[in-house]
Amino acid sequence: MNIYQPKNFQIVKIIQETPNIKTFTLKPLNGDKFSFQTGQFIELTVYGVGEAPFTPSSSPYKTETIDVTIMRVGRMTEVLHSMKEGDIVGVRGPYGKGYPVEKFESEEVLILGGGVGMAPLRSLLLTLIENIKRYKKVVLCYGARTPQDIVYKHLFPEWRKVKGLEILRSVDKCEQGEWDETVGVVTCLLDKVNVNTTNCKAVVCGPPIMMKFSTLKLLDMGFKPENIYLSMERNMSCGLGKCGHCQIGSYFICKDGPVFTWEQLKNIPEPFE
Amino acid sequence: MQKVVLYTDFVSKLKEIFVKSSLDTIFYLPTTSYRYKKVVKEEDFYNIPFTSIRMIDPIKTFLFKHKENLVSQDIPYNQISTIYVVGVKSCDINALNVLNNMFITEEYVDPNYSYWQKKLFIISSDCPYPQENCFCSIIKGTPYPVSSFDINISFIDENNFILESGSEKGEEFLSTYFGDKDSPTKNDIEKRNNIRNLAVRKIKEFNKEYIEEKTSGMSQEVYYKIVSSFEQHQDIWKKESLSCVQCLGCNYICPSCYCFLIRENSNSYKEQFRDRVWDSCHSTGYGRVAGGANPRKFKFQRFRNRYLCKFVFRKENFGFYGCTGCGRCIEVCPAKIDMRKVIRNLVLSKGEQVLV
Ligand SMILES: Cc1cc2nc3c(=O)[nH]c(=O)nc-3n(C[C@H](O)[C@H](O)[C@H](O)COP(=O)(O)OP(=O)(O)OC[C@H]3O[C@@H](n4cnc5c(N)ncnc54)[C@H](O)[C@@H]3O)c2cc1C
Ligand code: SF4
Ligand code: SF4
Ligand code: FES
Repeated sequence: MNIYQPKNFQIVKIIQETPNIKTFTLKPLNGDKFSFQTGQFIELTVYGVGEAPFTPSSSPYKTETIDVTIMRVGRMTEVLHSMKEGDIVGVRGPYGKGYPVEKFESEEVLILGGGVGMAPLRSLLLTLIENIKRYKKVVLCYGARTPQDIVYKHLFPEWRKVKGLEILRSVDKCEQGEWDETVGVVTCLLDKVNVNTTNCKAVVCGPPIMMKFSTLKLLDMGFKPENIYLSMERNMSCGLGKCGHCQIGSYFICKDGPVFTWEQLKNIPEPFE
Repeated sequence: MQKVVLYTDFVSKLKEIFVKSSLDTIFYLPTTSYRYKKVVKEEDFYNIPFTSIRMIDPIKTFLFKHKENLVSQDIPYNQISTIYVVGVKSCDINALNVLNNMFITEEYVDPNYSYWQKKLFIISSDCPYPQENCFCSIIKGTPYPVSSFDINISFIDENNFILESGSEKGEEFLSTYFGDKDSPTKNDIEKRNNIRNLAVRKIKEFNKEYIEEKTSGMSQEVYYKIVSSFEQHQDIWKKESLSCVQCLGCNYICPSCYCFLIRENSNSYKEQFRDRVWDSCHSTGYGRVAGGANPRKFKFQRFRNRYLCKFVFRKENFGFYGCTGCGRCIEVCPAKIDMRKVIRNLVLSKGEQVLV
């Protein structure tokens, strides 16, 4: 098996989540199963256009297909968004280390997501929901720019029914009467969260600026640096720990991450940008 | 295994191997113009500068091509069985250790790199005459290879070499072609070691400005650790990188720089094509992510990154520096930036504060 050669997957379903985010369900063309750990990522190829890293947003318990939730931001994602069900894409991976779910057992878990950063967190959430009784408490704080930008809208009603899972949502701005939950940046939801900050695990994924301020706020609230898990984004090319692109300090995000604790990152210059 | 061999005997043996072998064996020899030459005729074996310093071409060019296909079925030159590279220097051998650690890991073996690695037969040689940009022994290397070669040549005098094997392949080579030769005597070894020690002293002399006087008493470890205390020293990095024109030359010419970029160019999923090209952490787009965010937006950050990568990050990863002191980047730089000076300036301006 050539480590640089993608396997062919077929797009079997596309959901328009927001004006610029779609969830693609991919199925191995040869009928194989695809296993991954929640938090690991894949390298997705649009043949002839480019290859980029994405984190599966589906549950790792589901191995027939994987979902990837992708925001249209540039060259490759633009073409991807124009693709149709039945089209073929390439997948390499899974790569990197997943979320250390076993460390979350019997603990309180606070999940903090912004925008399309909810993608890996959905996979984590689905994993936790599978065995929700194992965790003392799971709190999801999710923020988007506007109510239209909220992903997985159809799943929230279901999640709200899960016992042991608490959900808080915010939008940066909205029209009058359009939104009856919190208005403000996602970090303001943290003021409403009731957890024991000295032991609680926090998992954060979102745009760099959101990660930065969330980390600062969590530290301020008393979270320990080793309990703050951050999904780091860097330019990636190989996904295998070879090409150098994803270096952050002496770590390679593709190999040692993409999830890091703040303890690992705190001495690295400009971790968020 | 070690054998004492006459210069002339050794060269005629190489020539003989070349003549007898078919097209599947390739020889690269060092030249006085500092470029490896691919042997095409017997005469090319005339006057090989074994004692020269490293060639301009970094060793990586033999294993990690500037541009190569990644998924096409047939790696080119499939018919090659052995590539002899002669006159490889210690600094390049050490660079190979960096490359090996990146390209061949427990998890993922790079197919192209390992393909070439298996074909390579390295005949390295000592450096009795280091030049002013050489600083291998200043950063924990030596101007003579100690391991990771197939055969190493060291010098007793002008006419006599000690050939030493450093691998199974090398051992076989030595016993096949020079099995009847004597092992070096104590006296031979002593003479050889004197030449080696002289080379180390020369390098120290060339580099005295960068270590001894200016950083009196500071250990090498501490010296390079200072490079890592980046945050406090933004102003210095800005100053040092001012004249850098970002030609990327230092990255490309470095034997231990290995960054690459994969380019997806398939016609369709049935007709896949992708290749990779060398990449450089100095280039603006190297770290750019979706929507244009860039963790190393400013020139000084990218400039600094190269130093951090070599002196701090690789040290943390592997236990040895990513720079092997070959001096190529000093020679290639159009702005005349000398990394030894950059580090010294860092030490001089902020050293004491960093030490506490
Ligand atoms: C571990 C990881 C997981 C991710 N998961 C998701 C996810 O689940 N959903 C999602 O929407 N986004 C995710 N991203 C971000 C996603 O990879 C980028 O949005 C994507 O690379 C943008 O590609 P583009 O060509 O459309 O963007 P452009 O901005 O047009 O990119 C232009 C060029 O810049 C380079 N480039 C830009 N960003 C990257 C990058 N991150 N890696 C390599 N090269 C890059 C490419 O060479 C590209 O051709 C993830 C990123 C990482 C590192
Ligand atoms: S840096 Fe050292 S090993 Fe390299 S050519 Fe110079 S003396 Fe030889
Ligand atoms: S950084 Fe410069 S001196 Fe060091 S190995 Fe690379 S080219 Fe040679
Ligand atoms: S993406 Fe190539 S080293 Fe991480």
